[in-house]
Amino acid sequence: MSSVPELSVVIPVLNEEENVLPLIDRVRAALGVATEWELVLVNDGSTDRTAELVANSAAEDPRIRLVTLARRYGQSTAMQAGFDHARGRILVTMDGDLQNDPLDIPVLVAELEKGWDLVAGYRERRQDLLVRRKIPSWIANRIIAGITGVKIRDNGCSLKAYRRELLERVHLYSDMHRFIPALAAGMAGARISEMPVRHHPRIAGESKYGLSRVGKVLVDLLTVKMIRSFRMNPARLFGGGALAAALIGVVTAGLALRAYGAFDAEIAGSVIFAGVTLLWFSLGVFLFMLGLVAQVAVSTKQRAGRDPGPLLHEVHT
Amino acid sequence: MTPTLRPVFEVETASASHPGAADRPRVSVVVAVTERPSSLDWLYREYSPPIRALGEPFEFVFVVDRWGTELAQSLAELRQEGEPIRVFEAGHGVGESGMLEAVRTHLRGDVVVTLPAYPRVRAEGLAALVRKVDEGVDLATAKRTAIGGSFLGRLQRGAFHLLLRWGIGGSFEDVASGVRAMRREVLDEVPVYGDLVRFLPVLAQREGFRVEEVPVPQHPEDSRPRVYSPGIYVRRIIDLLGLFFMVRFTRKPLRFFGLVGTLLSGIGTLILIVLLLQRIGGQAIADRPLLLLGVLFFVTGVQAIAMGLIGEIIVHLSAGQGRREYRVEESVREKI
Repeated sequence: MSSVPELSVVIPVLNEEENVLPLIDRVRAALGVATEWELVLVNDGSTDRTAELVANSAAEDPRIRLVTLARRYGQSTAMQAGFDHARGRILVTMDGDLQNDPLDIPVLVAELEKGWDLVAGYRERRQDLLVRRKIPSWIANRIIAGITGVKIRDNGCSLKAYRRELLERVHLYSDMHRFIPALAAGMAGARISEMPVRHHPRIAGESKYGLSRVGKVLVDLLTVKMIRSFRMNPARLFGGGALAAALIGVVTAGLALRAYGAFDAEIAGSVIFAGVTLLWFSLGVFLFMLGLVAQVAVSTKQRAGRDPGPLLHEVHT
Repeated sequence: MTPTLRPVFEVETASASHPGAADRPRVSVVVAVTERPSSLDWLYREYSPPIRALGEPFEFVFVVDRWGTELAQSLAELRQEGEPIRVFEAGHGVGESGMLEAVRTHLRGDVVVTLPAYPRVRAEGLAALVRKVDEGVDLATAKRTAIGGSFLGRLQRGAFHLLLRWGIGGSFEDVASGVRAMRREVLDEVPVYGDLVRFLPVLAQREGFRVEEVPVPQHPEDSRPRVYSPGIYVRRIIDLLGLFFMVRFTRKPLRFFGLVGTLLSGIGTLILIVLLLQRIGGQAIADRPLLLLGVLFFVTGVQAIAMGLIGEIIVHLSAGQGRREYRVEESVREKI
C-alpha cells in the first residue's frame, strides 16, 4: 500500500481468537471502499491463535495490519503502540471484543470533521450486569467528572475518534487510557464532543476486567488531577500543602505556649504540643522542598525539548 | 553517560598471521574483569575450546580495570599466536554494568556470551548456551548444577531466589550466575546500570525477550563454600528491593507510595480521631504522647504520598520521549 490512509482504526486485542475475524469483517463492512482506511490490530501478548488469524487476514488484505507486542503490556501501552504505527489523519479506537459496533465509526468520524479534536462515544443502552458493571461505572464517571472537571458520560467506552494532532500531544502509559479525555483536555486543550454509540453484549471470549481495579483507578485519578491542575506549576500544589502544614504548626505552637504559660501543672502538655509543632513544620519544609524538586523536573524537561503546545484551530472569518 | 574505553589490544585488520581476525566473528565472548581474577590466559585456554568447536569465527573481548591492565599482559603471548583476543581498558570504578554498556558497541558478534573472570561453570556449558540461542531463545542463562560440596552456597542461593520469585515472580533458580549467551539485540535494548547487570535475565524477560535457564555443570573451583561479609548480604537485599520496585512501580510510582502513604496516614488519622473523641468526652489529651504518635504517622503518610506525586510528575514528563515503552515482536506491514 503506497498511499497514506485517511483513517486508522486501532484495536488492541488480547486472546480474542473467537472474535477477531468477525471483527475484521464488520470493520470492512462498515468502512467499505468509501475512504482510504487501515485497521491496526495490536496483539498485546495473546497466547491463543489471535495473532495467527490476524496475520492471515493481513496477508490477504493490505488494509489490515498487525503489530505484535513482545509480551502483555496492558491496554494503555497497546493503544500507544497502535497510535505509533497508525498513519491516518484521523484515528479511531475500539475494543476487540465486538461489544462496540464498527458501524459507529463513520458517525464518530463525521462528528470529528465538524471541528472537534476528540469525539467520545457513550454506550446508550449498555448491555452489562447492573451491579457488577453499570453501577460502579456510573459512580466512577461521576467521580472522574467531579475531580478532573472534564464531564464525559462514559470514560470506559473505548470507541473514540481523535485527530492525529491530539495524539501527538498525549502519550499513554501505565493505565492512563481510561483518562484520555481528561488528559487530552488538560494537556492539549482538546475540544471534546460526545456521541451515543451502540453496545452489544459479549458473546465470546473472556472479559479482562474486574472490580479489583477500583483502587488503581482512584490512584491514577489523583495523578491525572495533579497533571491537569499543576502541569506547568507543580510548586503551587506542594506550596499549598506546605502552607497548610505550617499553619497547623502555628496553631499547635500556640497551644504549646499556652500550656507552658500554665507552668508546672501542664509542663508535659507543652512538650507534647511542641513536638507536634515540630512535626507539622517539618512537613511544611519537606513539601516546600519537594515542590522545588518538581520544578526542577519540569524545567529540565522544558530544556530537553519543547512540547508541541496546545491545539489551536484557525477561525475562518 | 556511557564510560569510554581505551583499546589495549585491538584486532588488526585481516592478515595472514591473524587468521581468527579475518572474518567477522559470530560469537563475542565478553569478560568484564572487576575483581582480581584467575589469570586471564588460563581463562582463555579453559573456555575458548568449546567456542572454537562450534566451528564459527569468534572473539574474546576482555574489559579490564586500571590495575587489570597488567593482568592483560598475560594475554599478549596468546595474541602473538594469533588468538582472536581484544582487550579494552575502562576507567577505575566503572563496574560490570558500565563495562558491558561501554563495550557493547565494540562487539562484532551476533551472539554475545558474558563470562565472569573466574571459573563458575564447566567450559563445555558455554557451547550449550550458544546452541540454545541458535534454537531461538533470546537469552540463555546458566543454571549451575552443583557437583556436591557447598551446602552453604546452595542454601544462600536458594534463599535469594525464593525472595526473588516471591517479589517479582518468574521461575529463576540461578539468576546471577553471570554466564549467559544472548542475541546482540538483548544487550542493545535492555538498559543496565548500577548493579542491575546481575539481574539481566529478569530485565530481559521484562522487555519481552525469551529467556531460559539452561542447566550447566558447576566448575569445581566455584563450589567451594564461601561466606561473605554481612555487608554483602545487606547489599543483595537492597538490590532485590530496588529491582522489585523497578519492575513493579517505576511507571506508576504513586501506586506504591500511595499505598504506603494511605496506610500510614490512615493509622495516624485513626489515632487522632480516637483522641478527638476522648477530648469531646471531656478527657484532656494535651499530655498524651499518643497525640505525638498520631501526628507522626499522619505526617509521614503525607510525605510518602507527596513523594509518589513527584514520581508521577517525572514519569509523566518523560512519557513519549526517547525509548518506547514496548517492544514489538513483529509487525506485519511495517510503517512505509
